[in-house]
Amino acid sequence: MRALALALVAATLAACGAAPTAPGPAAGPRFVVQEAAANPLVAIRLVFEVGAVDDPPGKEGLAALTGAMLAEAGSAKRTYAELLDALYPMAARLDLHVDRELTTLSGTVHRDNLDAYVDLLLDQVLTPRFDAADFTRLRERALDALTKTLRSEDDEALGKEALEAALYAGHPYGHPVVGTEAGLRAITLDDVRAFHAQQLTQARLIVGLGGGVPPGLADRLRARLAALPATGPARAALPPAPALVGQHLFLVDKPGRSTAISIGHPLGITRKDPDFIPLFLAASYLGEHRTFNGVLMQNMRGKRGLNYGDYAYVEAFVQDGWSTLPLPNILRQQQRFEIWVRPVPADKAGFALRQALYETDRLLKEGIPEAGFEETRDYLLAFSRLWTQDADRRIGYAVDGVLAGGELAAALQARLPTLTRDEVNAALRKHLSTANLVAVLAGPDAAALQAKLLSGEATPLVYDTEGTPAEILAEDKIIEVYPLALDPARIRTVPAATLFDR
Amino acid sequence: MRYVGAMRSLLCLLVALAGPAAAADRAFPFAVQEKVLANGLRIYAIPCDSPGIVSYYSVVRTGSRQEIEPGRSGFAHFFEHMMFRGTPRYSEGAYNTALKRIGADSNAWTWRDQTVYHITATAQALPLLVDLEADRFQHLQYTEADFQKESRAVLGEYNKSAADPSLLMEETLVDAAFTAHTYKHTTIGFLKDVEGMPGLFDYSRTFFDRWYRPENVVVIVAGDVDPAALFAEAEKQYGGWARGAATPPIPVEPPQDAERRRSLTWPSPTLPQLLMGWKVPAFSTTERDPAALEVLAAVVFAERAPLYRKLVLEDQTVDSLSADTAQYVDPFLFTVTAKVKDPAQMAAVEAAIHAELARVAAEGVDEKTLAEVKQRARYGFAASLATAEGVASKAAWFVSLTGRIESIDAWQAQIAAVTVDDLKRVAGTYFVPSRRTVISLVSEVK
Repeated sequence: MRALALALVAATLAACGAAPTAPGPAAGPRFVVQEAAANPLVAIRLVFEVGAVDDPPGKEGLAALTGAMLAEAGSAKRTYAELLDALYPMAARLDLHVDRELTTLSGTVHRDNLDAYVDLLLDQVLTPRFDAADFTRLRERALDALTKTLRSEDDEALGKEALEAALYAGHPYGHPVVGTEAGLRAITLDDVRAFHAQQLTQARLIVGLGGGVPPGLADRLRARLAALPATGPARAALPPAPALVGQHLFLVDKPGRSTAISIGHPLGITRKDPDFIPLFLAASYLGEHRTFNGVLMQNMRGKRGLNYGDYAYVEAFVQDGWSTLPLPNILRQQQRFEIWVRPVPADKAGFALRQALYETDRLLKEGIPEAGFEETRDYLLAFSRLWTQDADRRIGYAVDGVLAGGELAAALQARLPTLTRDEVNAALRKHLSTANLVAVLAGPDAAALQAKLLSGEATPLVYDTEGTPAEILAEDKIIEVYPLALDPARIRTVPAATLFDR
Repeated sequence: MRYVGAMRSLLCLLVALAGPAAAADRAFPFAVQEKVLANGLRIYAIPCDSPGIVSYYSVVRTGSRQEIEPGRSGFAHFFEHMMFRGTPRYSEGAYNTALKRIGADSNAWTWRDQTVYHITATAQALPLLVDLEADRFQHLQYTEADFQKESRAVLGEYNKSAADPSLLMEETLVDAAFTAHTYKHTTIGFLKDVEGMPGLFDYSRTFFDRWYRPENVVVIVAGDVDPAALFAEAEKQYGGWARGAATPPIPVEPPQDAERRRSLTWPSPTLPQLLMGWKVPAFSTTERDPAALEVLAAVVFAERAPLYRKLVLEDQTVDSLSADTAQYVDPFLFTVTAKVKDPAQMAAVEAAIHAELARVAAEGVDEKTLAEVKQRARYGFAASLATAEGVASKAAWFVSLTGRIESIDAWQAQIAAVTVDDLKRVAGTYFVPSRRTVISLVSEVK
């Protein structure tokens, strides 16, 4: 019954529209159109293959600032205040997401307002105003976001950014998308102008249209977007991720009540690899985002009350707003394995680090159990159908499909029914490791934590709760001395106040 | 039957999103069907265009407002966590596995007046969802050890938010603004109470018995749902749920008679912040003032408004400016937040906010601005109903405040009826010093 019902859903979604696309760069932007004529809302996504990897050295933050100058500043025709005025009655926004490799401008609008909205959007992209006051405002905001919000007000984001920096030192992924302090201070309005002219080209653009797309909209967009340069400088090939040998600790010292932990290592594969879906299933079993499905969540939060959540990923993941669903259009050419341990009380950080590694090692050694494999396979088959409930997400994932050579949801539907547990175990043992990784711990008393972990001493979990079952206490004894292969040469401590200064 | 149902609901969606003209009559124009069981449990079925998918919301009309005993702040939210800890029929693991195997997107949230549990899943899983939810709402069972462990997940939730000065500012604002009412504490609770939660196992049974009762809960199912089948299944699964006893009263807040101020510092770099709150009436769909305050928030504090334009875009003394109106069961606060770039500008920014509210009280706004605010509200509301999740979520919010889905249309009608004189009246009535509490925060790092 379940299979039949799911098939009916699939047929309905497929009937919403196919995805004609992909003329070559010389023919202008690529288009993904998914029409649902009955839908009075129209979703538009302009996805440029431009991101923080394109920041010139010394100008880190230029891609993000250029994006902001398109979405949150004026155009030749109107000031930013006038843009806000025009968007307001439509209840429409011009959303911006700049990531490592992609810049997305998007919005959803009622078709009553579609023509006016399209004009506004294209004016912003094609003829930015490059107003000096807008530039000053947005650069200051970016500096505040880096030096104040990131460094001191959001430990979870800080831990994740520090992990990127540690995994990708000297690599284009190695600085925050928002930039570095020195990079942002060095950027001029002329830099933004030049970046826009050189990077935002037709060849780098994929246009997604979804919902009640009227006839002729794609042609209209194509005609106006022809004003963008056809091509620009070739994008430099990404260097490989820096080699990672041994366990590395990166301690970010900052005042606070708790310690945020992010652990990871580069992966050799992406969605295009046959091993990706087996690995995706393994990560879901280990730590599906914001659910109790994963063993990390069950064992760290559920059985021990260590924190609010514990998750695992095999590609960059950003939650889409308040939902639990993945934000589209953040794909990368290189991916990494990541464990996200949400803040734990500072005195429990050593235990939490050890438990995250212990649980991952157990998966590597024992493999995924049969029941866990089947449940996770069923989960992903059904859950991935919830990803595309609205037009905006649907075209977002379709654009990802163009970039990745196929949509992930469709690939899951095709691959999971025949996937075997052995294939999952083989993939996770081939690609995941706890021997070579970086663990970031962002929180107070970094020096004491470093000394404790380096000493090899136990980091026992001292409960302030009662009734812990005997088998958990016995397992705690194993975890508290779980071996860490640390070396002073692979430990770095940085005050949060200087992180990302350059 | 499924096909017919889907067609009917598709037509409903088309009406919902047809545009402002249609929306002016019925902003929430779905073919809602209602069933009230003998025990008082109200169930709304909302068929809408969501082929093969349903969203199942269980709305408990209890939030941190009901945390009346000292030392119990944060308990409604904590209890939300406990609702995932199992029953005799479905252990915690069995409940999670059942949801996992159907690929459900499941979670819950708690706020001042409500605790809302939500699941989005395939439509054919609906009988299972009724079974799971009816079971845990009637037969929740957990050990004291599980209770204590979960209390530390709540502390973890507090900890993850505590790095952001916004939490401290909100805690300070409501603590200063309220003296008797339970709105005095935030929904996550006072830290000392969160830390003491492991000792409240016995109280947790009292809390469950007191508030998790059919007359205090509303079930909403939106999407690809057959109302008759839903009601039959619900009757079977929820019908035996017993009503509760009378619940204790919520303390009444005495009138405020003078402005209150608190100054805070923060140990690491942060932008200076202002958080101001004015006492305003409870949410109502029969009184005009709450709707007028909603419109006033847009008129004065939207990004396109003159105040934002001056402070953020022209003077660039403010990084961000926003307002939050009060949709609460009891009188709460209309709040304004400003992140200021320079501590020396704090007083000037505060003065500019007061001056703009005073100007609107004296002069009102032009009709074009008022019309555009209403137009935006209509388009924005219609767009929020694009998925089963969106429909159920919107219904859950209003039902949690009033108990009735009809309040959605009544609220939209009040918004549509707001006049310039209404705006002048509410701006003059409520934004006075004697209703005001002001919190400021600056960094200790120079």
